[in-house]
Amino acid sequence: MIRLSPQLRAGIQRSTLPVLILLSGAIVLIGKTDQTMFDSLRTGLSDAAAPVLDVVARPLGAAQAALDRARGLVGIYEENRRLTQDNERLLQWQQVALKLTTENRQLQGLLKAVPDRAVSYVTARVIANSGGAYVRTVMINAGTDGGLARGQATITGDGLVGRLTEVGSRAARVLLITDLNSRIPVRIEGSHTSAVLAGDNSERPRLLYVAAAEGVKIGDRVVTSGEGGVFPPDLPVGVVSAVGGSGPRVEPYVELSQLGYVLVVDYGLSGALPQPIAPMARPGKRGKVASNEEPPAAPRGTR
Amino acid sequence: MALGDLTAPTLPRVNGSTARLVPILTTIIAVILAILPLRIPGYAALTPALALMAVYHWTIYRPDLLPAFALFAIGIGEDLLAGSLVGIGPLTLLVTRAVVLHSRRHFVGRPFPFVWAGFTLVAGGTLLGLWALHCLLEFSLINPRNTVFRMVLTIAVFPAASFLLGSAQRALIDGPRRSR
Repeated sequence: MIRLSPQLRAGIQRSTLPVLILLSGAIVLIGKTDQTMFDSLRTGLSDAAAPVLDVVARPLGAAQAALDRARGLVGIYEENRRLTQDNERLLQWQQVALKLTTENRQLQGLLKAVPDRAVSYVTARVIANSGGAYVRTVMINAGTDGGLARGQATITGDGLVGRLTEVGSRAARVLLITDLNSRIPVRIEGSHTSAVLAGDNSERPRLLYVAAAEGVKIGDRVVTSGEGGVFPPDLPVGVVSAVGGSGPRVEPYVELSQLGYVLVVDYGLSGALPQPIAPMARPGKRGKVASNEEPPAAPRGTR
Repeated sequence: MALGDLTAPTLPRVNGSTARLVPILTTIIAVILAILPLRIPGYAALTPALALMAVYHWTIYRPDLLPAFALFAIGIGEDLLAGSLVGIGPLTLLVTRAVVLHSRRHFVGRPFPFVWAGFTLVAGGTLLGLWALHCLLEFSLINPRNTVFRMVLTIAVFPAASFLLGSAQRALIDGPRRSR
């Protein structure tokens, strides 16, 4: 070991903190200019921490489930009445849907339409969130080992959650649609007005570059447009909840602060995004949990 | 601020290797607790700055056991796990350490309301500074609403965190030393 003189040692001790503060500031600036610089470090640490986070998050999930059950018991009568009504209404919708599906299939046959691509799903549990006011991401406990790849859409039965931005072997990060850096090409259903859904860290993202702003009304459904080739078209996103002032805002269908499980959807479109980390597709291991050609669940109309 | 203020003072030596690790471990636990997915509406954005509490507590009572290097490493880990801009975490923790070390003598041995008031100033200043830094980095005026709520929540949770950290300190660091 090198022997240092007491003066030198005291000097090093005195300057450690200021030097580390300056170093942190420098790292912030470097990271800001090159956002992908720390990606491999991030995925490495996420992979290593995933089992720990998974274990810690599990009892938390169980406790929350128990709490939900207890809360459910209180309102069980009211809930039952509501569900019976819902069921009657949905049975009518089912008839309509069946009729339209048959009709749609016949028309597609007549037109010789190209069928949609096969879709595979991977179900993953949310094991960490971002815990702060400036990023809106969650970490999930699946990665390239489960066939996930950067850019894939993440959904729940209610609608769009976000997309994968970093994928390690056992964990991946989902950039939520409310994050400041999230930009998603969307379309107002019905009027076919296209726009960009831009997160600003608030609960309700904004609609930017609306082609015909006067046509946007409160209550309009917003779905992905599929432009840009990152997301498939027609994934439900949310409803327009405010117009005017700072521009239209969208209330997402998914309660993003209460995510438990999410579905990662592979539509075979993720090639549209550049892959800074080595490509990780392993076709043989796709569709670990579920794989079918139907959409996962009928999205809700309004909430 | 003179550089002499930024060195850890000489405190009674702690011999147990586990006891020496308590400040670092509790800070790491605070970081992990803050990113756990609690399914409470709007919680993610308002999560109290738990690591800040640990740094404040240990810098007042045992700054020698939570050195700047450890804070730097923990901060980087926090940024990587939480998906935030790398460097923000260590910057926050280290600046907090610098501020607390500088004014440490006002808090040591004082009753809890003094310590809490000090934390209110330090946490308020740090979270406000963090907001200003993010506005600067994103070139936009970020709505300060979440920051204000987070500040209030952080200050409100501090007594509980301080009690837990103080108990850990008495049981694992101070206690064994006194009985020896």
